[in-house]
Amino acid sequence: MASKPVLTPKLIVRALLIGAVVIALTVLPAFIDSYTLRIATGALMWAGLACAWNIVGGYAGYISFGHSAFFGIGAYTTAILMQSNIGASFFVTLLPAIILSIAVAVAIGGPTMRLRGAYFAIATWAFAEMLLQLATVLDFTGGTAGLSLPAYLNEFFFYYTMLIASAASFIGVWLLIERSRFGFRIKALRDDEPAAESLGIRTNLVKVQSFALSAAITALFGSIYAYWTTYIDPYSVMGPEITDQMVVMVLLGGLGTVWGPALGGVLLWITNRYIWSTFGDTVIYLPILGVIIALVVLFLPNGLISLIVGRQRGKELISRILGKL
Amino acid sequence: MDLFLQTLVNGILIGGILICLTIGFQLTFGVLHVIDFAVGGWTMLGGYTAYWLVTLAGIDPFISIFLVFALFLLIGRGLGPLIYHVRTSRYARPDLMALAFTFGIFLFMRGGALWLWSYNSRSVDSVLSGQFLSLGPVTIPLMRLSAFLLAMLFSLGLFILLYRSRFGMAVRALAQNHDHAGLMGVDVKRVSAWVYGIYTALTASAGVLIATIYSVNPSVGIRYTLFAFFVAVLAGLGSVGGVLVAGLALGLLEAYVATYIGARYSLLIVFGTLYLVLLVAPKGVLGRGI
Repeated sequence: MASKPVLTPKLIVRALLIGAVVIALTVLPAFIDSYTLRIATGALMWAGLACAWNIVGGYAGYISFGHSAFFGIGAYTTAILMQSNIGASFFVTLLPAIILSIAVAVAIGGPTMRLRGAYFAIATWAFAEMLLQLATVLDFTGGTAGLSLPAYLNEFFFYYTMLIASAASFIGVWLLIERSRFGFRIKALRDDEPAAESLGIRTNLVKVQSFALSAAITALFGSIYAYWTTYIDPYSVMGPEITDQMVVMVLLGGLGTVWGPALGGVLLWITNRYIWSTFGDTVIYLPILGVIIALVVLFLPNGLISLIVGRQRGKELISRILGKL
Repeated sequence: MDLFLQTLVNGILIGGILICLTIGFQLTFGVLHVIDFAVGGWTMLGGYTAYWLVTLAGIDPFISIFLVFALFLLIGRGLGPLIYHVRTSRYARPDLMALAFTFGIFLFMRGGALWLWSYNSRSVDSVLSGQFLSLGPVTIPLMRLSAFLLAMLFSLGLFILLYRSRFGMAVRALAQNHDHAGLMGVDVKRVSAWVYGIYTALTASAGVLIATIYSVNPSVGIRYTLFAFFVAVLAGLGSVGGVLVAGLALGLLEAYVATYIGARYSLLIVFGTLYLVLLVAPKGVLGRGI
């Protein structure tokens, strides 16, 4: 019986490629100015957020329109704990932020994930809007005026924090979903829920686990973001634009793939910043996002990543588009 | 007591408009099996069309509403085949793809409106603005009463179309079973596209009425998408008849919360209630069926 070769050429190429990307990302801050560094930090954050959304939206097949709620929970937990009357240090606030987001995810995910796709989408959206309204009327969230955090103006710190958080998210998702039994369960329930259940998979448990994992990562980035921007208000950390971007980044990159969200997140964030620096605001960015979603759904349902790896090559895509005209 | 009665009347008047807003949405879900995120977008665009018609051409919103209806009937009829295509495509999850697609359309509308018309709220003036009808202790703004009556007229029109015409019979057949309706000679694609057109026309008309009573700005879309969801979920997704009760329920809920608890809590309580209804009775409180 021939054993499987440990190092196939394909694996070596892949390992070299990943190594090169890691080294490039580590040394990048030495070569760019602080403005570009901020954009790179943002790109890392959005790639990580897209990765988080993809766990529920792409792998479990439940489209959530409420992830801004978890981003906001993370941001507000950090902001509130770092106010001068409590004065916790930044890293201490991460744990309560993550625990709170998991608790909320279990509390709302448990009941709502029993509902099928569309109902889940509506329920998460209603929940996020409810939390947004709550943040505007409560006192300890600062209402519409928002909260200021102690400023820590070290761009390198935030770049590397985002880099570690983002890399940890991708590696975690890759290990958990592409290299473990959990991954088989979650994909089985996406493809056919009754069939998965009949094979003994506790689908409700798996769904809630994936939702909680996704929420925890989202909250982590919310915490870092709050400390990074030093000022938050309900719309900047819980507004619908946050969820909008996460959804579009994953759809564009490729639903249910490991690297699709990274591709979509980085590309769209750079586009966002480019538009911002060209036009002075990002208003035109929203309709562009809308058009991208519609086009991806119509012509590229497997996302950009499918052009690089997988079944749907560019040539085939062009013939598909031409065939529809 | 007077305040209670006044709130009751306000709630019913707004509820009537919410019925008109949601009834087409329900029809679309029943026939196309699509949850249209853009429902608030159509509301907003209807409001803006009325605003421009009264500002540029001086056409009163209570007249231009018929123009808006015709215009959005055509727009929706044009967009319908695309929605149908996405919903019936051979993707892994066409229902989620359709959801994402309408989400994209909504984002396009909201972003486009922001880009073109900025954040400012615009009010739509009518000759009926500022006129009142006094009935004992209750004062009824004439505009709200007319808006309510028009909304009821449109909704009644839809019911007549559905239950008293050949086209309506085809629509009801589609709602029951696409394949069987197709075998009986119904042009599934064409009827679906017209249903989408009727939905956008009804929703945009409701948007004209809402813009006339309150005002319109690019972010009202989100609010009315959630209102439509609320009414639809309470009625049971796809149930056209249930909308009549659920629309009034939301109108009354919002009115009483605004009067007795405070307007800034009204959205919070509406969303909270929607969330609870979804958990307790996801299939709707009122059963389903067209």
